[in-house]
Amino acid sequence: MIDQEQLTYEAAAARIEEIIKRLDSGEAGLRETLELVKEGRGLVEFCAGELEAVSQGLEELRLEELVARLEGAPERAQ
Amino acid sequence: MASEPTPRPAGIPGSPAAGPFPVGAYAAKLREELRKRARVQLFGEVWNLGGSRAKVYFELRDAAGAVPCSMWRSEFEACGLAPAALADGAQVVVAGGPDYYPGSRTSSPSFSFLVEDLRVAGEGDLLAQLERLRKQLAAEGLFEPQKRLARRAVPRAIGVVTGERGKARDDVLAGLRRRGWGGRLVWAFAPVQDRHAAPQIARALQDLAACADVDAIVVARGGGSLADLFAFCDETLCRTVALLAVPVIASVGHHTDRTLLDDVAAVSCSTPTHAAEAAVPLHCEQARLDLARAGRRLQRHGSEGVLARARTLAALSRAPAEHVARHRVRLHQQLRELRAAARRGLADRRAHSARRLLVVERKAAAAGLDRAREAVALRRGAAELRRAGTAASRRRGRDLERLALALAAHDPDRTLARGYALVEGEGGELVTGATEATAAAELRVRFHDGSVRARVEDSQE
Repeated sequence: MIDQEQLTYEAAAARIEEIIKRLDSGEAGLRETLELVKEGRGLVEFCAGELEAVSQGLEELRLEELVARLEGAPERAQ
Repeated sequence: MASEPTPRPAGIPGSPAAGPFPVGAYAAKLREELRKRARVQLFGEVWNLGGSRAKVYFELRDAAGAVPCSMWRSEFEACGLAPAALADGAQVVVAGGPDYYPGSRTSSPSFSFLVEDLRVAGEGDLLAQLERLRKQLAAEGLFEPQKRLARRAVPRAIGVVTGERGKARDDVLAGLRRRGWGGRLVWAFAPVQDRHAAPQIARALQDLAACADVDAIVVARGGGSLADLFAFCDETLCRTVALLAVPVIASVGHHTDRTLLDDVAAVSCSTPTHAAEAAVPLHCEQARLDLARAGRRLQRHGSEGVLARARTLAALSRAPAEHVARHRVRLHQQLRELRAAARRGLADRRAHSARRLLVVERKAAAAGLDRAREAVALRRGAAELRRAGTAASRRRGRDLERLALALAAHDPDRTLARGYALVEGEGGELVTGATEATAAAELRVRFHDGSVRARVEDSQE
């Protein structure tokens, strides 16, 4: 189980590989299998979310636009 | 126009200088005088190397001064230098002398040191200075911090510092598309070649790093001379990059060029395309396929993990029923066999009995006559027995009557009938003497027709 706070795509992908390797070994009991599958599904969802975030098409903007957007965000929030 | 001689104007009143002379004549005289000067060898660093079809031009510099140089291209090629041997910053020794192009009404005059021969002497001061700075930064450990930074496999936003109109911009986009990456790309355009470049690049890098969204920064510039790329060797810029918290991926110049930024950056790439690919280490399309495959495998493990065990349990739960069913079938079979065997046995016994019956009947038929004869004998014996029995019975009757008469003769009641009486005590015992009668208080006297009570009153008689 890895810390959700520090979760990165690389760590999640590595853990998924580890889980599948363990499941492929056939040594996991029913309870462990179900727990590993549940954890793996969560990690797959996380990774899918990461990939989805960069699948919306390239968004190009200038640094000045980004700065303006970031500076405008708190004002909009208020 | 040039063929018309200009009339000589009046000179400056009071001036001690000779003249005025026509400038063209003076320029020609100046060239003549300069060409008379002794041929010498000079050494310095080559800068601003360029040329035309006829001539090669450059400046020879050192810390104290510089001289513009020119060389006939035919003589330059005769030197047999490697193509890249003469570049900005190269230390050279030249031989030649001063020359002057007098110009004309339509062309500008120029002074140059006309080089007749040239030899590359080694790295220039500039390169030596660069090497010193590289060693100093390495000694301070500034090449390491960027390389220790974690780089995200799937950055959500990438900053790019490059020239606005450079080809590097297109190369970066091509690299990102090749990765299948479609996140946020933040352009920070800055000059990439002049003395103003380094500070603006450093500022752009700091601004990008300050944006929380930016996960990696690419610094890209196409090829150029060392002088062109010198902005990326700026000490302040390199120190700034070393301390940034966001990984910087450098792609400056060609693969043969090595700027200090390449040393300081997290990753150094040979082309902007490669730099873009390094910024997105993961091939997004492939990652999606791999992830989908992993998801399917997990799904299969999840369902099979339960189903396989359920099948095992179902098989185990069916085992007792199947065991009973097998036994039931076997018992039915045995029962059928038993019945069949019984039927066969019964039939055998029936046949056997029939055969025995037939034998017995035959024997009985044979024994029938013997029985008849035996019956006649038996009936005859029985008649004899009856007769013997009747005779014996009569004889026993007579004996019995005789015995009864004898017994009656001894019956006490016959004595009593003749007038005798029996004296009995209270308990029924016979009292046969007077002493016993005196001793007994009460007596019973039995006659042949009954008994009476008696009391002894006087025993003296």
